Amino acid sequence: MGRVEDEAGEASGRPDDHFDRGAPSTVVSPPLSVIGWAGWAWRQLTSMRTALLLLLLLALAAVPGSLFPQRSSDPNGVVQYFKSNPSGAKTIDALQLFTVYTSVWFSAIYLLLFISLIGCVIPRTRHHWSALRQSPPRTPRNMARLPAYERRTFTFAENQVEPMPAIRAAERVLRAQRYRTRLYENDNAADGADTVSISAERGYLRETGNLVFHVALIGILLTVAIGGGFTYTGQRVVVEGQTFVNTRSAYDSFTPGRFFNDSQLEPYSLTLNAFSVTYVEDNPSTLGFITDYTASVSTQEQNVPQGVRSQVRVNEPLTIDSTEVYLLGNGYAPEIVVKNPAGDVVFTDTIPFLPQDANLTSLGVIKVPDGLADQVGMIGFFYPTKAASASGAFASIYPDLQNPVLTLNVYTGDLGLSDGDPKSVYALDTSKMTQIAGRGTTIPAIEVRPGESALLPNGLGSVEFVDTKRFASFDISHDPTKGFMLFFAISVVAGLAAAFFVPRRRVWVRASGGPHNLAVEYGGLSRGDDPALEAVIGTFVSHHANALEQLSSPLKRKVSRHHEPQE
Amino acid sequence: MSGRRQSARANAILRTAALSAVVVLGLSACVETPSLAGSAGSGYSSVGPVTEIAAAERGDPIAFSGTFDTGISGSSEDWLGSVVVVNFWYAGCAPCRAEAPDLEALNIKYQPDGVQFVGVNVRDQAGTAQSFADAFGITYPSFLDADGGEIQLAFAGEIAPDAVPTTLVLDRQGRIAARIVGRLDKSVLNTLIGDAVAEQ
Repeated sequence: MGRVEDEAGEASGRPDDHFDRGAPSTVVSPPLSVIGWAGWAWRQLTSMRTALLLLLLLALAAVPGSLFPQRSSDPNGVVQYFKSNPSGAKTIDALQLFTVYTSVWFSAIYLLLFISLIGCVIPRTRHHWSALRQSPPRTPRNMARLPAYERRTFTFAENQVEPMPAIRAAERVLRAQRYRTRLYENDNAADGADTVSISAERGYLRETGNLVFHVALIGILLTVAIGGGFTYTGQRVVVEGQTFVNTRSAYDSFTPGRFFNDSQLEPYSLTLNAFSVTYVEDNPSTLGFITDYTASVSTQEQNVPQGVRSQVRVNEPLTIDSTEVYLLGNGYAPEIVVKNPAGDVVFTDTIPFLPQDANLTSLGVIKVPDGLADQVGMIGFFYPTKAASASGAFASIYPDLQNPVLTLNVYTGDLGLSDGDPKSVYALDTSKMTQIAGRGTTIPAIEVRPGESALLPNGLGSVEFVDTKRFASFDISHDPTKGFMLFFAISVVAGLAAAFFVPRRRVWVRASGGPHNLAVEYGGLSRGDDPALEAVIGTFVSHHANALEQLSSPLKRKVSRHHEPQE
Repeated sequence: MSGRRQSARANAILRTAALSAVVVLGLSACVETPSLAGSAGSGYSSVGPVTEIAAAERGDPIAFSGTFDTGISGSSEDWLGSVVVVNFWYAGCAPCRAEAPDLEALNIKYQPDGVQFVGVNVRDQAGTAQSFADAFGITYPSFLDADGGEIQLAFAGEIAPDAVPTTLVLDRQGRIAARIVGRLDKSVLNTLIGDAVAEQ
């Protein structure tokens, strides 16, 4: 088998499958110098096996990122973890499991993977490049040893077909099948007869696809590592009638990439004119199911005279400048007015209440810092369609506004806003406050419907539930890497497809002429598994036979065919 | 046949690679590392960063107008030729409450120099904003910008109010001369206003 392998393999300078270059013999040979060891390490690192191992390792290493809260995405979760499990948290922190994606070990894996991929791709590309410029290799002497082999003898009664035209005919058939060909004359010195042969090869795309796959993987890594730094994403809750302006201060939460700076935010504003929800109302079994959410918005760019009206729906984001605005969530925002005992308005606001269940029982916090004798905080429950259970507890039984009721637990004291430390608008810190109405006190919770007002306990003033509006929460994201990601993802798939499905085959045809007949040998060799190889050779033989038939036409062909079984 | 066997192995490896590629694609979202969320996401620090812009490098004058919490409307044109201090705030914002007395003190101090202080309330309605002004004895007016956002839009861009509170000093031509992001330090703002007043 050595000869065929030699000719088909190294002698022709074909790219070996890269990973087995640097055969064990060179590694084993003692003693290795420092450079020798470095070379060995480099070969190991850049072997395809290592690259794949690293790829899998990267996937594995990312798993803790979803098991432990990450400082980058869930800083409160980390704080919570430290509180509930102080000793364990210390160990986990030492292992950098709270910052998985920037940890030393995670970085090590993807940097090694990166080097490995590049170290693998460059020599392979060089090999492939030279292979692309080389002609198909010399026809093997003993073609019968090829995995697919067939021999035929054609006897022509009238017009004899010489070996050369016969090979030319084979060349035409092969070229039509997109083989690259080269003619060799008198190459079979062994039996001394005049022979002509053609050597053909196809399927260079297989290795090209393989390389495209690897390069695209590198592209994805680069896009994620570098491009990801230029992205940003932020969320903002906007009540009907209010406006979001794309500045850092306007975001409720904001996640910038590594290379982000605030001046990247393009100046525009987005006003939520109306938010509508469509419910199923005519089908009892799906009553109250939501069929559509629509946020009607106006957008206004800086230094542009006219604003633009448009809509944002679920999965139908609005593109403005280079950002995309997605509809993330929604809920009710009761409009509240608080008056002092004299009847002067000291507080007006429309406060987003966060939905707690499918029927939009919602929870919100009202903070009245100024204007009353004491600071007042209220924790409110809003029921769009209130119903009371047997125990007297309220619940919402339908998400639309059929029987809206707002209940308020009232606290007085210090809202904790005076020491300058930022506080969440969605949470009421009651540590320095006293509850004066609601469960646990002698005074029941305030219960108001739209348009109603109620007195606050202790003669503090009154609170009015004016109306119910809706709010929408938007996700605003800027991702310049999307196009690159798509391109590389498609390249990965296309490269893989080519590497899997394009067969790389060599076909040889050798013809030698006798006085009254023509002997033709056909051989085929594939790189990789190729169950179709024999069939391909068989089909080719019949094509070639037809071509020969036409050449000697008008012919009375006497064929003596003896198949020589494959050895 | 070693060549064929190796190729077969290469194929198997390639197949694993395909799987891994899918895994990597799925993971790609996790790999990016937004690390600033904790530090800057909250928007304010105890004392914020200060940006000063040399007269030659300032941008265009910023024109803005709106309605004050008192119902009267106001415009930057009313204060042309004066140094204007613009403070972005809302009543429930703790650092805004902490810095309010300092702002009012400087407002009184610089009145003889014709310096105009103006607030831009980014979240509240009139009742809440006025109660705040009463509680802290604020004498300068405040625009209500939560509904329209026009003033925030006018100031959006390179030197934007990147947090609440943000305090801007506009020079006599209405250009941004300095910015303090986050809770202000009284002496720093004092210096910034003094510098702007000294310019001609």
